[in-house]
Amino acid sequence: MVDILAYGAYIPLWRISRDEIARGAGVPSAGGEKAVASWDEDSLSMAVEAGVDCLGEQLNPKEIDALYFASTTSPFKEKHASSIIASALDLRRDVVTIDFAGTTKAGTTALKAAADAVKAGSAKKVLVVAGECMVLTPSTDFEQVCGDAAAAILVGKEDGIAEISDFVSTIEPIPGPWRRSTDTLPQRFESKLDLRYGFIKSTVNTMQSLLKKYNLSIKDFSKLVFNAPDPRGYLEVMRSIGADVKQLQDPLFTNVGITGAAHSLLLLVAALENAKADEKILCAGYGDGCDAFYVETKKKVEELKGTRRATTVYVKSKRMLATYEEYLDFRKLRERAQPEYPRASVVKYWRDEKMVLPFYGMKCKSCGSITYPIGRCCVVCGAKDNYEEVKIARRGKVYTFTFDYLCGPGSAVGEYAALNPAIRVVADMEDGCRLFLELTDCKPTPEEVYIDMPIELTFRLMNERTNFRFYSWRGRPVRS
Amino acid sequence: MVGSIKDKVAIIGTGVTKFGEIWEKDQEDLLVEAVYEAINEANVDLKRDVEAIWVGTQYHFTGMSGAIFSDSLKVFGKPITRVENFCASGMDAVRNAAYAVASGMYDIVIACGVEKILDYGGRGLPLAGGELHPVMGWSSAPAMFALVANRAFKVWGWTKEDLARVSVKNHYNGARHPKAHFRREITIETALRAPMIAYPLGLYDCCAMSDGAAAVVLTRPEIAKKYVGDNYAVIKALGMAVETLGPWYRPSESFLSFPANVKAAEAAYKEAGIEDPRKELDFGIVHDCFTITELINYQDMKLCKPGEAASLIREGVTAIDGDFPINPDGGLKCFGHPIGATGCRMTVELTRQVLGRAEGLQVKNAEVGFAHNLGGAYTVATVLIVGRR
Repeated sequence: MVDILAYGAYIPLWRISRDEIARGAGVPSAGGEKAVASWDEDSLSMAVEAGVDCLGEQLNPKEIDALYFASTTSPFKEKHASSIIASALDLRRDVVTIDFAGTTKAGTTALKAAADAVKAGSAKKVLVVAGECMVLTPSTDFEQVCGDAAAAILVGKEDGIAEISDFVSTIEPIPGPWRRSTDTLPQRFESKLDLRYGFIKSTVNTMQSLLKKYNLSIKDFSKLVFNAPDPRGYLEVMRSIGADVKQLQDPLFTNVGITGAAHSLLLLVAALENAKADEKILCAGYGDGCDAFYVETKKKVEELKGTRRATTVYVKSKRMLATYEEYLDFRKLRERAQPEYPRASVVKYWRDEKMVLPFYGMKCKSCGSITYPIGRCCVVCGAKDNYEEVKIARRGKVYTFTFDYLCGPGSAVGEYAALNPAIRVVADMEDGCRLFLELTDCKPTPEEVYIDMPIELTFRLMNERTNFRFYSWRGRPVRS
Repeated sequence: MVGSIKDKVAIIGTGVTKFGEIWEKDQEDLLVEAVYEAINEANVDLKRDVEAIWVGTQYHFTGMSGAIFSDSLKVFGKPITRVENFCASGMDAVRNAAYAVASGMYDIVIACGVEKILDYGGRGLPLAGGELHPVMGWSSAPAMFALVANRAFKVWGWTKEDLARVSVKNHYNGARHPKAHFRREITIETALRAPMIAYPLGLYDCCAMSDGAAAVVLTRPEIAKKYVGDNYAVIKALGMAVETLGPWYRPSESFLSFPANVKAAEAAYKEAGIEDPRKELDFGIVHDCFTITELINYQDMKLCKPGEAASLIREGVTAIDGDFPINPDGGLKCFGHPIGATGCRMTVELTRQVLGRAEGLQVKNAEVGFAHNLGGAYTVATVLIVGRR
């Protein structure tokens, strides 16, 4: 028996209306809006945010034995995003991390691997995070269909909110989009074949195999959760498998977009948020084949309700990008003054990992002050080597601020900084720690940023100095 | 404290270049110009009389090690120390040179400073490279001080107009100084209309990017007469304090006062025996890298109570014809801030004011005044008090 113990999600603050994309790209609009990762977000950083939501304040990250990350858009070709995510989430050092990549099925496949590990007894708890942040060719269908988001599911052997069935998995190697290792934008040959003989056939057949295996009927399920390449695909699958359209879990197409490898898990989280006990939810993940499984909810599913932001909060918490050009700049899809950075040392980043990824400071045992960064001597009383390392509080308020038009976010200089001032704040965190943060997800105006403004930490890409991707924590207005 | 520098060091020579965007000259030109002006005024011979040198530079592209001096002046074989203490590098060079003379180790020394910022290119001061952490907080210089401005606006109700008044006053003075970078008066409206640099600091709240050099020749008063007769000033006090480069990480930091300022001022006033600087001193030169900095400096230098600096500028107390003129030369606002040179330039201006031969506006009856040099994220503060012999 393998249970889902908790869930979490992350949807970036920013949205763009498809009408605005249509205007900018000169194509017809598909209607609604899609979620867009901020310029300082990617699949890795959003997966951390979903993980933070999943663990909440109650779950101990040190009890997790493995972290699986799924994405088709990992920011690294070589380097495990899952390893960085595990550190940022403050997991133990002796955990197994795996990146599941290469296709949109990666999310459900990671979940299958997690369930298998728990079943086999090699891990007691496995955290699965999936994140997607796509760079899409302007004016293509993909551009309007796909959105950015992340989801997290914690599975384990103990009694949880829903039990996971066995998986049925199939392959379908030819149809669907691809990116060669040298491509940055997705390629495809024939979308009609991809839909009919790839997605629909594969998803329906694999779901039917699962039903047969468990001797279940489609009517037994309260919701169907799966990822389709476009909204039309959802209805085709529902019809082909003989399900009522009311059974379809809202695919979040109108307000988030289809979020690649994260999508099936994101919709499963949404289904669990709204589920009562003893419901069966049928799930599938498609991409070069299909995984199908179902979950059966338990009483605890109702207890978890409202304790996580998940899709309930993150779908509502949003802000519109005013123009298509802003969206293009977020993904660096047009020629513009780009940030110039002074060199930075990866050695320092390595040495300070605990301060910059899980974000620990120090608590002085002599004077009790909690301060950042960690140093041999206390900045308040000077006591030497007499401290414990503590995780800094995640919330606080602005003590003072400025908008820096000379030095942009992540110490970017040059003309870029004049266009993109860093919002710098000195913040008093809830534990009394003083931090110097850059704020994100807000604009540099005194109406939006002010003394005593409440803020919370958010995991972001800080800069790409020295051709490395340096991640750490920024501040943002509290999302609710 | 065991010792005191009071009346033990004489300033017998001063030299300063024109400050500004000096594209056609390099650091060697500038240093030669300032040093020769100072040694000529002091009637000393560089090779024969000068025994040791301290030279302030901050940036590696201006110069590293004592060789920036030896290779510029082609004077080899003497002890030369390069001093780097952020924007207070220049005055710290003066300070180290002064103690060396006072100790009796040397009779005649030079303190000088130079910076060649324009050669580096780009907007604003070059960010330091190697010491920057890849992700921990850092900012441009104006942003560091803008943090203070926003806090002061909130707590004391100061306004952008108050900041503009500082700029207007200093531009009035600087317009009348032949060596200043900017020699044009401005209005409050001009300052308020300027582009934003670091909210709420606009272009006219910030000092310029400039090149320049300055130098002083120091000796002991009993030796001074031999070279310059009565034409010298004496150091009354030197205070200095170093706080932190990460004030934003220190829970006690108010962002309404610079602790390094307060400690440096207290040390200097104590050494000079000054209890009420407004009454006992005649004028001051403060580090106005930004307009907000000048106002905070008034308070930290105990020219008024916390929160009252804006009243001083509104009421014209610190104008050239006011009760306590501040920055009669136009300050960094008009000279710009070639980092290593600034503290030495302040020392030159201070000396010339008390000797009654200011190149720009002369403060009336200036007998004793102070100069204040601040560096980093309010990290390093140096206060120098100089009087007539």
